[in-house]
This record gives sequence, C-alpha cells and structure tokens, in this order.
Amino acid sequence: MAARAFASLPPWLRSGRVLIGLTIVAALAICALLAPQIAPHDPNEQNLLATFLPPAWMHDGDPAYLLGTDSLGRDVLSRLIYGARVAMMVAVFASFGAMIVGATLAYIAGYFGGRVDALIGRAVDVWMSFPPVILSLILMVGLGIGLRNVILAIILVDWTRFCRVMRSEVLVIARKDYVAAARLLGFSHARTITSEIVPATVPLLITLLSLEMGVAVIVEALLSFVGMSVGPQTPAWGQMIADARQYIYDSPWGLILPILAIFLAVFGFNILGDGLRRTLDVRVTAQRT
Amino acid sequence: MLATVLTLIGRRALLSFLILFIVSVLLFIVLRALPVDPAAMSLPPNATVAEIEAKRHEMGLDLSLPRQYLIWLSHAVSGDLGSSIQFRRGVLGLVASTLPATIELAVLAMLVASVLGLAGGLALFHVRGTAKEPALDLGTVVLLSLPEFLWALFFILVVGVALRWLPFTGRIDPDMRLPVTTGFLLIDSWIAGRPDIFRSAIEHLILPSLALGIAFSPAIMRVLRSSLLDVYQEDYIHLARLRGLGEKHILIRHALKNAILPTLSLMGVQFGFLFGGTLLVELIFSYPGLGNLMVDAVRNADLPIIQAVGLTYCIVVLSINTIVDSLYVILNPKLRLQ
Repeated sequence: MAARAFASLPPWLRSGRVLIGLTIVAALAICALLAPQIAPHDPNEQNLLATFLPPAWMHDGDPAYLLGTDSLGRDVLSRLIYGARVAMMVAVFASFGAMIVGATLAYIAGYFGGRVDALIGRAVDVWMSFPPVILSLILMVGLGIGLRNVILAIILVDWTRFCRVMRSEVLVIARKDYVAAARLLGFSHARTITSEIVPATVPLLITLLSLEMGVAVIVEALLSFVGMSVGPQTPAWGQMIADARQYIYDSPWGLILPILAIFLAVFGFNILGDGLRRTLDVRVTAQRT
Repeated sequence: MLATVLTLIGRRALLSFLILFIVSVLLFIVLRALPVDPAAMSLPPNATVAEIEAKRHEMGLDLSLPRQYLIWLSHAVSGDLGSSIQFRRGVLGLVASTLPATIELAVLAMLVASVLGLAGGLALFHVRGTAKEPALDLGTVVLLSLPEFLWALFFILVVGVALRWLPFTGRIDPDMRLPVTTGFLLIDSWIAGRPDIFRSAIEHLILPSLALGIAFSPAIMRVLRSSLLDVYQEDYIHLARLRGLGEKHILIRHALKNAILPTLSLMGVQFGFLFGGTLLVELIFSYPGLGNLMVDAVRNADLPIIQAVGLTYCIVVLSINTIVDSLYVILNPKLRLQ
C-alpha cells in the first residue's frame, strides 16, 4: 500500500536527493521560524561563569548548554538556531530577488536578441570581471550593514548567475515553432514571453533557485565573518566563526559547530537542486531512459 | 594561424579595457555614495567646520561627480591612484607590495584546482554506469557545499592546531628576513640563495592553497565528466573502437582533446572566482596579501585603497580571462581556421 502510494508521487518527489534536500531545508526553516520557541536560551544572554563549555556529552559538559557556550558564556545551540533565521531569510529573499532580476533580463535578451541581447551580454561581462566576494564586499561598504542591505548586495552580485544560464535556454526556446505560432496568432511580445516561454523554463528556474539559495548562505556567512553583514546584535553563523576563531585553542567546538551548520544548509540546497535538475530537466531524464 | 590568434587576443584585450573603464566608473559612483566624508576623516577630530570645508575644497570633493571622476582618471592613467587615508602612503605602492603574495597563492591554488579537477573528472567518468557512481556523485555535491573559507578553517583546526604539522599564519617564519626583489618569495629566496626561506614559504602556502584549490575543483570535475560523456556520443569514438583502438588510447588521443575545450572555458570563469576567494583565505591565514589590505580598508572606510584594490582584482580577472580565451583559440582547431 505504502509502496503504491510512493509510486504514485510525481517523479521529483520520489528522488532520494530531493527528499534529503527537502528534509534538511525544512528542518532549517522550522528552526528559523520557531527560533524563540525552540531555543533553550536567549542567544545574547551571557553567563560569564560558564564560558567555553564543551557540548553536554563531553567530559566537562553541562546539560543546560547542550552544545556548550562561547567566549561570553552564550549558548551555542541557541545562537545556531537564531543564526538559521539570518541564513534562511537571506537564502529566500536574495535568491528570489536575483532570480527576478536575472531571469527577466534573460527573457528580454534571449527573446529579442540583437542589440538588446548584446547590451545585456556586455553588462554581464562587466559584472563577471569582478570576483563575487570582492563585489559584495564593496557593495556592503556602499550600502552599510543590515539584513536588507545584505539581501540587496547579493541580488546585485548574483543576478548574472541566472541571466547567463537562462539566456542561452531562452535563445533556444524562442526559436521553437510554437513560439512563432503564438506570434502568428497575434500574441503580443509580453504575452508570448509570459505564456509561452516562461513555462518552458520553469524547471531550470527552480533548479537554479535552489542552488542560488546555497550560494546566498555562503555569501552571507562570509560577509558576517568579515563583520560586514547584519551587525553584532543579531546572531549569524559567520559571526560565530569569527568569534570562535580567536579562541581556537580554548574551544574548538565553537568553530566546528557553525562550520557544520553552514555546510548542512548549503548541502541541503545543493542536493535539492541537484535532485530537481535530474528529475525536472527533460534532457537529463531522456538521456537516462 | 598566428595572425588569427593575435587578432582574437587583441580584440579580447580591447574589450577588457572597455570593461575596465566601465568598472572604474561604477566603482567611483558606489564609493561616492558612502555616508562617510574622506575630508573629515583625514583631519584630527577637533577640526572646525571651516577647516573641513577647506579640506573638502582642497581634495576636490566640492566638484561635480563627473569632474571628480575625470580628475581621478587623469591621475590614475599616469600611475597615481591617490594615497591611503589611514597609512598616508601612496596606494599604488601598497598594492604593488601585496599583489605578489596574492598571485603566488592564487597560482598555486589554481594548480591544485586543475590537478584535482581533471583527475576527479576522469575518475567520475571512469566509474560511469558502475555501482560506485552514485557515491562519487554524492561526493561532488558534498565538495560543492564546502566553500574555501570552511576548508581553510578545517585545515587550521586539523592540520595546524590538532596535528601541528604545518604553520598557518603569515608567509614565512616571523624571524626570517629577505630583501625584496620581485616580491614573490618563491623567486626572491632563490635569488638570495636561501633554501630555508624557500622551504618556509612553501610550508606556509600549502594549507591556504589546498583550501582554495579544493573548493574550486568540483565544478571542474563535473564539467570534464559531462563533456567526456558528450564526446563519447560522437561517431568518431565508435569509429575508433571499430578500428580496434584500446580504450585508454581513445580516451587520451581522441576524447580528452575535445572534452578539454569546454572544461577550459569553465576553468577560466572558476579561476576568476578563485582569485576573489583569496580574500577570505588570506584573512583566515593572516596572509599579507591584497585581501588583507582590502578587508582592512573596508573596515576603516579607506576609499582610495578600496577603489585601487577593487580595480586590481578586476584587472587580474580580466587578464585571466584573456589568457584562458587565448589558450582556447590556440587549442581549438575550428577557431584557428576562420
């Protein structure tokens, strides 16, 4: 019975990768949404009598601090849970923003071709001549720290990832017969793009979106590591790493745990994206069967 | 053939200059949007408003933005990129004294990324269709999820702190002194005949370049694998098999030659990203290169340095792209004929 129910699911939900990815991402999303309810402590509450505690299962561990404490006696688990908030907010909003900007330009470039295409192509070239790390850092200098500016900076850096890949896809689709047919039926350019071309690119779009969420988590982590992200009052994983790095000999756990959190989040988005690519991309599926 | 290649490279270089110009304009606008006042920053805190105004006038900050840019450009073209607000030194000198360290690190990391990427790609291709494929495939997703700064921290924890095998701060042991000739320690130590310094420099480079190289290798692996898979669909591979050629011979003499081209263009893009990745790796390993200069300038809002270092990164990336594109043209017989 269960096996039949499983078989009746759409193929993308039957992929092991998609399931693993969804589980990880959902767990992180729950942490982020319910942080005040789940976290055992206030993430900024200091206990200077209990600094550098190792996780509870270690020799000197304290069950009240499941994953130990940092240099100011703050609860690492609670900070990790609250850190998921920043990571997930950035992942969702920055990647959707980058998708909207990048994909829109890609539809315009790929559909109209010619000068418009060349102009957008040159803009991508200009952006690509800047390493993303450097560009995001410079943008943060210009915009100032804060969650909204981190999201904006990542959108301004990463729209090219969508634009480059989508453009070549749109270029192929726009030359298909059914698109020409839509034009002959008297569809306007805008309607042809939205009702004929956009649906054909949705699988690729979803895959890129999932991968971009992983990239956004990484960029936020490195910006907060440098101290150019959300500011010292908001717990963020990169910031926890920067703090713990100074006390590497006192407490390696303070460094290991946020590293694992970042890895887990990025892995979740990547394996989800990889699974979706395999199940949604017609060409990959066709190759395998 | 040489003429075609040179024309293509020339056109590419010209385009790079155009891009550089646009980038410099954009950089100028972004940095002028800042809420900080360089004039007030370069004066003591007790300066009067009148003094700050005078300084603003002296620095040309009261001029229109396009005028300011043109002044900056005319200076920049003659090699004057202004002076740092915090160090009170010429920015060009600061960049020149840190760039070799970063290039040394980046070149070694590119070597690591190429070797791992190509070997990994061949391994992935080799296990196609076998029971090992899913596991190795999953391995690449894991690798793709670990950015360079996590590798850097991991290596410091394991190899530096726990095992104490290798040093993880700076470029050489702190008590070593070496006269600067080229700025590249690996070259300067040879010139000075100091194998001990050469060794120390190599030891200090191992962990940072491994962290960077490993982080940028999985993308290369995947592209090489998929281009090899594409190539193996072609008729000439079947033909070679029919001619009775060995699988190894087919792979090396026929398939690899064609599969390497898409891999090469991806490596160009990756190396551009890798050069940007040096910033965090330098920061984590306290490696005195361009990245540390940049982070320092960002924290102190030292605009002339941010501007110059930003442009330097851009110039290096454009040079990498030009070099890779030229290699592509040289290796690709189809483009050579046109």
